[in-house]
Amino acid sequence: MTRTTFVLVGHSLRRIRGVLLGLGLLLAGFQFLLTQVAGYLLRRSAFGQLSALVPDFVRSVAGPSTLAFLSFGGIVGFGYFHPIVIAALIGLSIAIATEPVAEVEIRLVDLTLARPITRDEVITRTVLVVIVAAGAMLGLMAAGTSLGLACCTATDVKQPSPRLVASLAANLAAVMLCWSGVTLAIAVAVRRRAVGVAVSGVTALAAYLLDYLGRAWEPARSISALSPFHYFEPTALILGQPLSGRNMSVLLGIAVAGSAISYFVFARRDI
Amino acid sequence: MSSGRLAGLGATLDFHHGLLDEARGGRSKVEAHGFSDPLGCSRSIRYSWRGFNMTRETMPAIRLERLAKRYGRVTALSDVTLDVSPGEIFGFLGLNGAGKTTTIRVLLDLVRPTSGRAAVFGADCQANGLDARAHIGYLPGELGFYGDMSGASTLDFLGRLTRGGIDTRRRRDLLDRLELSPSDLQRPIREYSTGMKRKLGIVQAFDSDRPLLILDEPTEGLDPLMQEALYGLLEDTRRRGRTVFMSSHVLPEVERVCDRIGLLRHGDLVLAAAVDDVRRLAARRVHIVFRETVPVPDGAWPEGCEAADVTPAAWHIRVRGPLGPLIALIATLPVQDVDVHEPHLEEVLRHFYKDEAAE
Repeated sequence: MTRTTFVLVGHSLRRIRGVLLGLGLLLAGFQFLLTQVAGYLLRRSAFGQLSALVPDFVRSVAGPSTLAFLSFGGIVGFGYFHPIVIAALIGLSIAIATEPVAEVEIRLVDLTLARPITRDEVITRTVLVVIVAAGAMLGLMAAGTSLGLACCTATDVKQPSPRLVASLAANLAAVMLCWSGVTLAIAVAVRRRAVGVAVSGVTALAAYLLDYLGRAWEPARSISALSPFHYFEPTALILGQPLSGRNMSVLLGIAVAGSAISYFVFARRDI
Repeated sequence: MSSGRLAGLGATLDFHHGLLDEARGGRSKVEAHGFSDPLGCSRSIRYSWRGFNMTRETMPAIRLERLAKRYGRVTALSDVTLDVSPGEIFGFLGLNGAGKTTTIRVLLDLVRPTSGRAAVFGADCQANGLDARAHIGYLPGELGFYGDMSGASTLDFLGRLTRGGIDTRRRRDLLDRLELSPSDLQRPIREYSTGMKRKLGIVQAFDSDRPLLILDEPTEGLDPLMQEALYGLLEDTRRRGRTVFMSSHVLPEVERVCDRIGLLRHGDLVLAAAVDDVRRLAARRVHIVFRETVPVPDGAWPEGCEAADVTPAAWHIRVRGPLGPLIALIATLPVQDVDVHEPHLEEVLRHFYKDEAAE
């Protein structure tokens, strides 16, 4: 990496700092509030009542994860796999990963690449910005959770361990990086950002639905392994299992493969 | 050495611009960092620029060797061979779609050639693109900026990406000459007019003082005053021994600022020659007024002379080549006045454009 790579990274981060700060604080606030919701339900002894309301057939289909979710730790951890949170973070990943094609589209790249900068540096810049953004988002979310647990929760409550919170955050960060890689691979091959965003967004939605189908419907379980979301299992973490190295490897492997494809394609295409 | 063919003016001429360079050798000037060649006599001048050592004889500012680019079935460039010498201002002409911008984008490694080679000061634009681009200041035809960024932060950003950095005094001078005020620079670019964006583009191209400036339609969108300011900048650039490679549609502009031109037609380089030499290809118009009526020559005009409108009192003659034979013819006649109209580049090139449009 050269000095100019860091100039590019700094420039991109400055441009999106408002979005990062706004979204990060929003998600951190959401995590903080979830700790308060969990504390409130605990004080009302509502978890037992809530789990009693779950029909038997739902328990049999969903398994123990349902009951795991209806616990103090489950509610606290819910923010790390809430569909809206996932959508927001994947949307951010897509927005960042389509920056190279946006620069091609508006022709800013004519000015940057007319200087002694390699095309690889443009991709490296984006990869670094995604990593920083994922770290910042998940860091702020974890900070929101930790602050909520530390300041406003009864001490006699069995709190989710910092390790669990870190694992949930790492798993979600891996999903972000995975979709960044996929988006980069798609976006460097097109000429318009809207096309890159649309194709990546629809692919993410299809993959999410495929995974959902596989979890709810036995015949679809085998093909759901094609979805990266298949390797995102936060409920297993809440149930006490350790962060799966295999799952993380698959998600990060997709991120690396997508990035490698984007380096290859972007270095060879006409701009 | 490159070659071209000029046809369509009743004559067919082959150009080998290396020979034309020799003929013009005494007119070029190279000055850089204490090395100067005011007479242009030396054919092997070493000069340096920020650590780059160049030899004028062996290292053209731009060299294109059988450069070709195809987009599927469309041929954008076809075996273009061309040298641009250090210190000259080269005008790159052609109708829309002729391949001018593709050539420029190959030089910047934004487009990869199908075959052939492009080099800037000896550095291959593809294999050694970083070194090639370190020599280049570039003004694109279509400027792309982030609309939410201010002009000042855009210039700072681009300056930080430039090897060797920016001379801030030079930038301030450029901003003054192009009348971009500090308050203009603080505004977001989305509020800029087309002309202001163009001025910002010119500043970022010139402020790093690269030895080669590549300008794609530089005066597009500029008002006449700013066009004059740009011509002044180009004149300074010439004096400082920098090389300019500019594409343009505006023939009077090319005639005014360029030393040599190249003309692309359907991806072929059909002409590469000095502006003066191209201009000479067109006929001069000579208007001779007599004090008293004279006999009209019955078809026996000197070589190169063609009667356009001849009466006993006045002759309108078109002359290609030297005027000597015509002057000899009228030497014994009662001449009252002789008016010679030098041809303009436009008159020559219009034929090329018409031929291309007809094709």
